[in-house]
Amino acid sequence: MTGIPRAILAVDAGAATTAVAILGRPADRWRLMGSLVGPAPASPDDLAAILVGRIRAADPGLAAAIGLEPDAIGDLPRLEARSAPPVTLGVLAASRRAVGLLHGVAQRTSWRVVAASPESHDPREMTDLALRPEVGAILVGATEPPGPDERAAIDDVAGLVAAVLRRRPDLRAVVAGPIATRRAWADALGDDAEQAAGRILEAPPLGPRSGPDETLREILEGLLPGAMDTRHTAMRSLASLADVLDRRIELVDIGLEGGLRAVAGPGVADEGPTVEGVRSAGGALVPLDPDEAAVEEVLAWTTGSLDRHRMGDRLRDLRSRPWADATGEGARLRLAAARAAMTRLVDVTPDLSALPAPDLTLMAGGAFAAAPGGSVVLAVADVVRRTGATQVALDHARLLGPLGTIDDPDERRDIVADLADDLLSPLGSLVIAAGMPPRLRGRAATGTITLDPEDGTEAIATTARRELASGELAILDLAPGERANATLVFRDSARIGRRARRFSVSVSGGLAGVIVDLRDVPLRLPDRRDRRRAALATWGEQVWPGDER
Amino acid sequence: MTELDAGLALVPPRRLLSDHIDAFFDLHPGDWPLVTDDDVVGRQLPIADRLRDPRTTVVAGPAAGEAPGVPGGRWTPAPGRRGHDGDAEPSGELLFRSGGRWRIGSGEHAEPLLAPFAGTVHDVRPGIGLRLRSEAQGLLGVEGLGGPTAGRLAIVTGPDGEVRAPQVDVSAAGAILVAGQRIDAEALTRARAVGVRGIVVAALGIKERRDFLASERRGRAAIHGLPPFAILILDGAAGRPIASPLMEVLRALEGRSVAIVADPPCLVVDDADVELPRPPADLVWVRSGPLVGAEGRWAGLAGPRRFAGGVLLEAGFVRFGDRPPIAVPLGDLERFV
Repeated sequence: MTGIPRAILAVDAGAATTAVAILGRPADRWRLMGSLVGPAPASPDDLAAILVGRIRAADPGLAAAIGLEPDAIGDLPRLEARSAPPVTLGVLAASRRAVGLLHGVAQRTSWRVVAASPESHDPREMTDLALRPEVGAILVGATEPPGPDERAAIDDVAGLVAAVLRRRPDLRAVVAGPIATRRAWADALGDDAEQAAGRILEAPPLGPRSGPDETLREILEGLLPGAMDTRHTAMRSLASLADVLDRRIELVDIGLEGGLRAVAGPGVADEGPTVEGVRSAGGALVPLDPDEAAVEEVLAWTTGSLDRHRMGDRLRDLRSRPWADATGEGARLRLAAARAAMTRLVDVTPDLSALPAPDLTLMAGGAFAAAPGGSVVLAVADVVRRTGATQVALDHARLLGPLGTIDDPDERRDIVADLADDLLSPLGSLVIAAGMPPRLRGRAATGTITLDPEDGTEAIATTARRELASGELAILDLAPGERANATLVFRDSARIGRRARRFSVSVSGGLAGVIVDLRDVPLRLPDRRDRRRAALATWGEQVWPGDER
Repeated sequence: MTELDAGLALVPPRRLLSDHIDAFFDLHPGDWPLVTDDDVVGRQLPIADRLRDPRTTVVAGPAAGEAPGVPGGRWTPAPGRRGHDGDAEPSGELLFRSGGRWRIGSGEHAEPLLAPFAGTVHDVRPGIGLRLRSEAQGLLGVEGLGGPTAGRLAIVTGPDGEVRAPQVDVSAAGAILVAGQRIDAEALTRARAVGVRGIVVAALGIKERRDFLASERRGRAAIHGLPPFAILILDGAAGRPIASPLMEVLRALEGRSVAIVADPPCLVVDDADVELPRPPADLVWVRSGPLVGAEGRWAGLAGPRRFAGGVLLEAGFVRFGDRPPIAVPLGDLERFV
């Protein structure tokens, strides 16, 4: 941006919904004036026109101060991020083991992945898979030197991929390992070798038990046209936010076409903020073609009585019209699907799970946009299970993506600093404790939690105390904006990040208050469906409000 | 734009009709196109041969002195030429060469892919697919299974009806049936058996869908194959009535010859004379939620409202009949464009 405008239109055009927000600078800092979300493909201009009308009606003076005119929406500077639709990556290798290694890396990218090897598909089927129009690139790889399980078929795979490249001039290929040196590769490319060279990218070979993760992921992400992709730009905003707040922040974003899990830390000394994350098409709210496994994953989190077929029908409809049926049972189904998606995302990010609990867990994406705050915190507690205390907040105006489109990190940091309070909607604090001795199970009280006033103007006025029991989910009221010192004292030692009997953590309020989770880590749900549903229903009752309008 | 129009623009639009068709027909390695780019083909003329029993065969490929093989090219062995095992080598599509021998996609039984409507062929790519373009109109659905197919359109039940197996008899042979809000697996099987060419239905559950696709796979692999059959799904998987704008179009087409194609999923109307009705711009249809299937007139934005489950959503007022307007989440509404 050049100069300093008084108002900016931020647009996050997702696959399921379009979100717009008006940022204004009535005095010396940026503020969030308002936001509005509509079902995709709602035009940002139509949404902005309605939003501007509401702001003008609510506070004409403020609207005038930032120059909001209904006829001048097209003139507003824009920060616009879009969810790029995922493209399919064909993953091929000469053995089941090798293709598994490549698949493990590819599913930690924004590509939708289909994989095949001669042990699972015959050459005609593999060619068919690679020729499908929806396949945008091929990833083929082998270990260096090829393992015994690869030697028999490596020439076939090399010849097959090269022949497909010759037949599809639009296709790109990433070659990891000694594939292009095979004679079958050169023979199949024939006279097209020179023309195809620009479409072939080299990557490090496979290790015996692992793929070349970081380098290969960068190459694969680089093939996607995603410079303004909302999950790509959100990671940049996350780094700025971590730096501004001087906090470690974990971002979990579940959208229709993919998910993002990232952890950012503030800069130390002369170094800038750090961020590491994984974008994964597997983290999508509902897979493109939900199969029985996907149905089971969601059923495992539901409390209703839907059978597999009905659940499959609901998931197909949720996939095709993700904005619809978002009330009542539809809202619960959406959160169950979001839990299943988060589980898939957590499964492909063990490196992030191994990190200590962040100071702030930030939820984003359409899956959580309309849900009650407590239900979102419970979803986090159910799936991202790390002992420790974290504040949970929601990117309610969907600003992370648009703010990340600001290329200059200093300029981005300045605007994020102004907006930090506005863009975070506090949902509450989550304290997960584990490691209580099993002999204490079932006793009336395992310990206590006390919320004491914290020094400061927004601290709570009185002390709250509650007994805690192993396996329970305890919720204490703490309003948004309030802060407190939580003191947890256990009869025997427990683990909240570290093992001790007494813990003191700072917590802040939100729509859900403070949730103390004393359930198993990892969460163990009963195998029997009726008991599992009963357990989920018991926990859910505490965070889902009544159905009255 | 008036406030009413601006609010209506936020209601998810649904495209009802297409004023031209550019249909994609997938081909797989071993299938063979019988047409080339810019060929003009008539209705029910063969445009490709599809293998019912595709497989990989290893052959010597082009001999010395013959033109060198190219992946994707067609290869036919010289008469009398035999492979290592003494059997005649099959013809097929060259896939790739490895270890000095070619892998080809071949099969013994092929069935013709017939053009479901007249048009101009383009983008022919062996092993991948071809496209057929026409100025015909199309009623758009959300998914097409099987096919392509063509037949006369017959309406056998109302928009909220269900078709059961006893309702399908031989008098429907050659027809494409409009089956209301849903059809069960038995009725689908019977329809196939009596020679029905296709089904248009509001919703198809995953059980019926899985049964149908499995039946298609078995049928295609059988010796005699099956006549073309397709299902056009207008809305989704969970049952709901056919919306009146769609039903009006289907009624206008009853008795006429139509076709079903899967990509894009639509009912093709290759008849320039027919005038297809369009709904009023402010008609909105409730496609999900407690009022599913209801239709009304748009009455303006209602703003953010709290609904069942404590969910806060943008809503719009809808007037159903003469009753006062009701706030409905925008996401549950659909308008037809």
